[in-house]
Amino acid sequence: MAQPSRFYFEDVGLHDVLETPAMTITEAHVTMYAGLTHDEPAEPGAVPEILPLCLTTGLGWRVPQPPLAVLAFMGFEWNVVLPVRVGDTIFSRSRTAAKRSMREGGVVIEEREVINQRGEIVHKGKFTFLVAKKPA
Amino acid sequence: MAVDSRRFFDDIQVGEEYESPGRTVTETDIVIFAGLSGDYNILHTDAEFMKSSIFGERIAHGLLGLAIQAGLFTRAGQPYATLAFVGLRWKFKGPIKIGDTIRVRGKVTAKKETSKPDRGLVTVERTVLNQRDEVVQEGETDLMVERRPGR
Repeated sequence: MAQPSRFYFEDVGLHDVLETPAMTITEAHVTMYAGLTHDEPAEPGAVPEILPLCLTTGLGWRVPQPPLAVLAFMGFEWNVVLPVRVGDTIFSRSRTAAKRSMREGGVVIEEREVINQRGEIVHKGKFTFLVAKKPA
Repeated sequence: MAVDSRRFFDDIQVGEEYESPGRTVTETDIVIFAGLSGDYNILHTDAEFMKSSIFGERIAHGLLGLAIQAGLFTRAGQPYATLAFVGLRWKFKGPIKIGDTIRVRGKVTAKKETSKPDRGLVTVERTVLNQRDEVVQEGETDLMVERRPGR
């Protein structure tokens, strides 16, 4: 059976920068998200703060590199700098800030910014992933 | 006009605790979240591959658990007069599997006035537990909350 193509710990370059394609956040995204989670927008036209984060994770799948072989998403910190509104078009830019080899896989720390159509950083934070090493 | 029953910055006390109702996380939740977010990581979508993983089966997206606890938190007590969610520091401690029932416990750990007189920052420590009372996620969230008008 063909193994799916994956981006392993060894493939991750320190300080590598990755930009995703952009996506317009619509009323449909907010409605689906609120229906699924019951995390509602604060007012009409507002976007719940966790939603752009969820969408940029998916946008990270549309870059010309195989998906990171994540064993576990360990944690993150996140700051909301500016509000995101329905109709805004966002993308994310991430950078590998640190990597540390462990016995089972390795830890990768990624800094991520979410940027809107005016080039403003709307959200930013730091993610910690446990990533698989290449199979021997 | 309806009476405003939201709780303002001035009403919230450090040390207050809340617990939400439970919610069972289903396969449907995970499939819809994958479709909505576009995050099709095999951890969440490939049942066969996951049989041989340390989890033994598909697990929910960490961010789905985070989003569900955000929804549960609004049912854990009288809602705050929240102006904005400002930030969080979060740890994923264990998997949420299909059929697990999660709930959130919150505790107010800090209140801080800001440079704007109409609002204040409230920090809530949150613990997401499963049906076996195992901590699956935990962290702190910072919320900007309105001050009581004309207090």
